[in-house]
Amino acid sequence: MIGYYISLALRSLRRTPILSALMVAAIAVGVGAAMTTLTLNYMMSRNALADKDDVLYAVQLDNWDPHEAADNPSEMPWEITYKDAISLLRSDIPTYHVAMHRWGGPITLEDSTLRPYTAQARVTSRDFFALFDVSFVYGGTWAGEADNNAVFQVVLNKSTNEKLFNGENSVGRTINFNGAPFTVVGVVEDWHPSPKVHDLNNGDFMKSADIYIPFGLHRVLEIQTWGNTNGWKPEKIESYEDGLGAEYVWVQYWVQLDSAEQRQRYEDFLTGFIQEQKSQGRFPRPLKFGLSKPSEWLVLNEVVDGDDRMLNWLSLAFLLVCLVNAVALLLAKFLRKAPETGVRRALGASRSAVFSQHLVESGCIGLAGGLIGILLTLAGLALIRQLSMGYMDSVASMDWLMMLSAIGLAILSSLLAGLYPAWRISRTNPSIYLKTQ
Amino acid sequence: MLKMHNIRKSYRTDTIETHALRDFSLEVNEGEFVSVTGPSGSGKTTFLNIAGLLETPTGGQYLLDGQEVGNLSDRERSHLRNEKIGFIFQGFNLIPDLSLFDNIDVPLRYRGFNAKERRRRIEKSLEQVGLSARAKHLPAQLSGGQQQRVAIARALAGEPRFLLADEPTGNLDSLMARQVMELLEFINQWGTTIVMVTHDPDLARRAHRNIQIVDGQVSDLRQNIAADEAAIA
Repeated sequence: MIGYYISLALRSLRRTPILSALMVAAIAVGVGAAMTTLTLNYMMSRNALADKDDVLYAVQLDNWDPHEAADNPSEMPWEITYKDAISLLRSDIPTYHVAMHRWGGPITLEDSTLRPYTAQARVTSRDFFALFDVSFVYGGTWAGEADNNAVFQVVLNKSTNEKLFNGENSVGRTINFNGAPFTVVGVVEDWHPSPKVHDLNNGDFMKSADIYIPFGLHRVLEIQTWGNTNGWKPEKIESYEDGLGAEYVWVQYWVQLDSAEQRQRYEDFLTGFIQEQKSQGRFPRPLKFGLSKPSEWLVLNEVVDGDDRMLNWLSLAFLLVCLVNAVALLLAKFLRKAPETGVRRALGASRSAVFSQHLVESGCIGLAGGLIGILLTLAGLALIRQLSMGYMDSVASMDWLMMLSAIGLAILSSLLAGLYPAWRISRTNPSIYLKTQ
Repeated sequence: MLKMHNIRKSYRTDTIETHALRDFSLEVNEGEFVSVTGPSGSGKTTFLNIAGLLETPTGGQYLLDGQEVGNLSDRERSHLRNEKIGFIFQGFNLIPDLSLFDNIDVPLRYRGFNAKERRRRIEKSLEQVGLSARAKHLPAQLSGGQQQRVAIARALAGEPRFLLADEPTGNLDSLMARQVMELLEFINQWGTTIVMVTHDPDLARRAHRNIQIVDGQVSDLRQNIAADEAAIA
């Protein structure tokens, strides 16, 4: 019977085009508004590292002010000091561990007409690619010694390799970055997780690195992070070396721990490390460290904050208002068809058959509203991309799941809106209309 | 076929209770053609609605084809109505934006027949009323008499054993009315039981039996005439 009900619904929609268009519009506008904010929230709260959520951990150490905890929900600094990063890198417990931060500078090529341009760089230890599953197109990562010694090697991402070398295998070629020559050892696929879960200190939704530089180059190049640097006490910094030894936090640290036993050993290691530092007068606060999975890290960093959630509720409230309008319009439309319903009842339609027929009609209206709602959502997201001037490009877009969700939301909404009108028409006494037709 | 015993039907508002039928008893046998007459407001349509399972009586007993229908659920009543009862209305009650074919298809859809069986029945019933060539037409493209014949075809398609006609010729001129009446008589000859409400005494007389409803109660005219004749004798 469902096919018959659908054909009746389409016939009914054609019979009252203006009323039908109003209902479709009411649902489309409600769904469009709701899906615009829901899509934003969905994309913002996506976990790009979900596949490794059980084994990756962001590391936090509480080296902060003894009188005041760090001002964030975790009450620990988001990043760690350079000297702690170097110490932690010596541990052989994690499967992989990464110390890293954001950097950047001009790229040039010798004997090339390419104009210099500013590239985003990630200064990182070599495990970065294995830990975050960033796959190589050409070559591989640099040797392990590059984490501690000055080795002028670089890994490009695919887009940069395309720009510099027309996509050819560039392993062994040289680029100039910040005035220093670097040998290309590998080319990786473009990797721009959104939100940028591995580095939430420098714009949650900005693009990630174009090139990757070994962590051991700090002293030679006197690299200053392009990210945040925070401290809790005044320190006398007279040289680059003073900066590396200061209590300033500016290095992000991630580890891969594949088992509970491995995690326990690493927790013991961190406990021992902090106790050792305490004995040297550091880490004045009660012993505390953080090992957060990517999903936990996103929540801690409030990538989706209270305002975003409030916006969700407001948009759903708007959808509700649209649905109330749709209920009134559906009621008017269905009651206009009461005489026909009376005939159908006389010819053998049960109340439940009449109810189902009208609910299917509501669903068809919802489907049309959902399809137009998707167009409105795409328009809304395009507007957000325009207003955010590129910052929200990676999240203000709709994937297939959200498109299907939009249609699902529209059909569900219209079915809910149709429940009462369909029930009302199914309870109508047919004999009234049979005589008055 | 139809057996009503002490049927009561009243409608109640906040202040007034109206008795549409009072102690209404009637028996219609299989294959009978019964006409029902009576003044306006006497309860004829209420009787027809109860007989057609469109309304439930306030009290009394109603057996349709030997089955007590008082306690049936809406689904059961609808199923019974679809399977055993055909309706013909004064206003034809065709669905205006459905073709003749699709109008006749309506009760068959609720019956659950497959497409092939529905088509067979629709074509047969259209042929019976002489409108096979008009299957794709809309009701508005037909005359009143033709529309009523379509309504009859729709009632016949389900091959009901019991046909209820509520002033089937009320909206037709005399020629059309005669044609429709001849069609009903023809259908009755095939064995279908017919109960027809009418204001037209000539049509009423053509039925096997004429009953009159007055103030919600039935009186069998034939029996009354017989009683009067007996008294005179």
